[in-house]
Amino acid sequence: MQSLPLNKRMLIFVGKYWALMFLILETILFSFLSHGFLTLRGIQIIFFFGTAIFLLGTAETFVIITGGIDLSVGFIMGFASIVSAKIIVALANSGVSPAWSISIGVVLTMLIGLIPGYINGLLVARLRVPPFIATFSMLAVTHGVSELLIQGVPAKNLPYLANAIGNGYFIYIIPGKVVSFFNKPTASFRGETLLEIIPNVVVFSFILIGIFGFILKRTKFGQHTYAIGGNVDAAIRAGINVKRHLTLIYVISSFFATSAGIIYMLKYVTGKADAGAGFLLDSIVAVVIGGASLYGGKGTVGGTILGCLILAVLETGLRIMGVSTFDKYIAVGVILIFAVLIDQFFPELIHKGD
Amino acid sequence: MILENSEISGRIDLQKKIEAVAKYWSLIFIALLMIIFSFTGKGFLSLSNFQNIVHLSTVFLLLAGAETFVIITGGIDLSIGFIMGFSSVFSAKIIQVMYSGGASEMVSIVVGSISGLILSLIPGIVNGILIAKYRVPPFIATLGMWGITNGITLKICQGFPISSLPPKLVEIGNSYLLYIMPHKAMSFFRIPPGVADENIRNLIRIFPSSLFFSITVLTILWHLLKNTKFGQHTYAIGGNMDAAIRAGINVKRHLIYIYTLSAFLSGLAGVFNVFQTGIGNFTPYNAMYELFAIAAVVIGGASLMGGKGSIIGSILGVLLLKILENGLQISGIEPFYRFIAVGIILIIAVIIDQLFPDLF
Repeated sequence: MQSLPLNKRMLIFVGKYWALMFLILETILFSFLSHGFLTLRGIQIIFFFGTAIFLLGTAETFVIITGGIDLSVGFIMGFASIVSAKIIVALANSGVSPAWSISIGVVLTMLIGLIPGYINGLLVARLRVPPFIATFSMLAVTHGVSELLIQGVPAKNLPYLANAIGNGYFIYIIPGKVVSFFNKPTASFRGETLLEIIPNVVVFSFILIGIFGFILKRTKFGQHTYAIGGNVDAAIRAGINVKRHLTLIYVISSFFATSAGIIYMLKYVTGKADAGAGFLLDSIVAVVIGGASLYGGKGTVGGTILGCLILAVLETGLRIMGVSTFDKYIAVGVILIFAVLIDQFFPELIHKGD
Repeated sequence: MILENSEISGRIDLQKKIEAVAKYWSLIFIALLMIIFSFTGKGFLSLSNFQNIVHLSTVFLLLAGAETFVIITGGIDLSIGFIMGFSSVFSAKIIQVMYSGGASEMVSIVVGSISGLILSLIPGIVNGILIAKYRVPPFIATLGMWGITNGITLKICQGFPISSLPPKLVEIGNSYLLYIMPHKAMSFFRIPPGVADENIRNLIRIFPSSLFFSITVLTILWHLLKNTKFGQHTYAIGGNMDAAIRAGINVKRHLIYIYTLSAFLSGLAGVFNVFQTGIGNFTPYNAMYELFAIAAVVIGGASLMGGKGSIIGSILGVLLLKILENGLQISGIEPFYRFIAVGIILIIAVIIDQLFPDLF
């Protein structure tokens, strides 16, 4: 790479890091255009509202690397938000303490939420149903089941603790006086400026994303995922149990969608069937911006997070500016096509640096 | 073990029977559904209900027709639902502006519809160019167009349906070829004069304009796909792209035509929707028309890998889904079961396709 002329190296740099540069440019632009964007609070808002896209994007990353697609993540998210809300309300009403009912509800939902993914995986891996069709059917089924569970009325009457977790922060600081974790400092400091740092839901999300990002990047499981996406036949010949692996991939996708649903429940203290319906497009777009190819074999969790940030910054920026969300759809569509065109025009540039 | 001759021929017979069932399973399924619903749903098996089914299917028949062409080439078009909303809102807006500006009903309707149709070509051409010339995967290109058309549509209508359109629209969209008042009167195209309002329930309406419209469009599409060079090339591209290029087919141009045709048909569906409902309705982001259309096409025997599919199959797919929906509704079953049923039937369709790959 050292031998290449400077302008060529610049081009490679642009091709490789265009998403990062786009994010920086976008952030600078919004910090001028909208008031209160580049503040501690503004940045936390971006992450707070972005959790769903981050989690669904990570789910989609695993699936897309294997060359598949998962259309059901949005409605699995809604399904999980309803199931968790229902279980927690039922437990709380029967006299279990809020903390226990929330813990039990979350664990049970995590387990139930693996079922749609497992079925997806079986259909795709064992019965060779195209992922598009299998997961679309699962979309319809989870949508129907969710609507049946709530009968058109969003789940409510969740214990207050859910709200406290979902909208609480990891660290609270009153400058020069006190630092506390998870709980607001006691009432004696009323009137002081309270700094709230890192929302809880962001902590939860990034722990999960970090673990699975590590798995994808550093473990054999991750290697096999890329191998299957790159060339299924070669992967089979190399002795990878492709069927089991693909099933696991769809289970992971469902796991992330379920986590997104539970976090939605904690954040908004309700469960809704269409909680994640609007995020399907965003999550796929984020993965593609992050450098993945729908033909499989390419993509990283880091890239996806970058893609998610581009979308989250765009959405929050437009919202703070007071621009209608209609423009968001157009912008997302344009960015998506732009991302793929860059990938098409500079393939050798982007991948030579690897 | 050596099999007896008769045993072998018996097995072949059985296999042939299974193959026949697999090939026409959607037709058999429709028949089964109709038998079941005729017991469970009061009024399911009636002329007016069937015309109702056709009326509600019109838009989906067009969308499925559009998707059939795209899927046969091995592509996918996710933007059709929003192109439909786009042309609906755009043509309704023009009709509204012209009508309120004093233009006559017919002029504003004609100008509005035609400009809606012409404008709906643009997203299709852009899709086609992105996919054919710049090799953007169809999923991504049309997903991008999904967002763009959705945003533009919402900007035009500001999130509200466009109303106060000329009443003639609904009259055309909901008219029937033949009206019969038993023992009294019969007339073509309009309600017989002198029918009192209290008797209007007894009026028999035959052959809705939507049926006429769908039959016309679908016949043209069927002919285009089955009997013309254009159709042959479509199958050729889906079957084996490289072979198609070597056979001298201008694949790039053909793909641009295919996506333009798909967008045009979606635009047609949108404009007809204005005639049916009398308002310019945008497509809600979770309406999933495109997924419904893809489901119908796959139930009709197409493969997402390309090279397979037919207009008749897609029509059967739409009818299956719509009859299922209508029957469940008439039988008093909650609408939520419909989603589940659609999902399960789709899976059955694909598994049948997988089990008997040589049949379709």
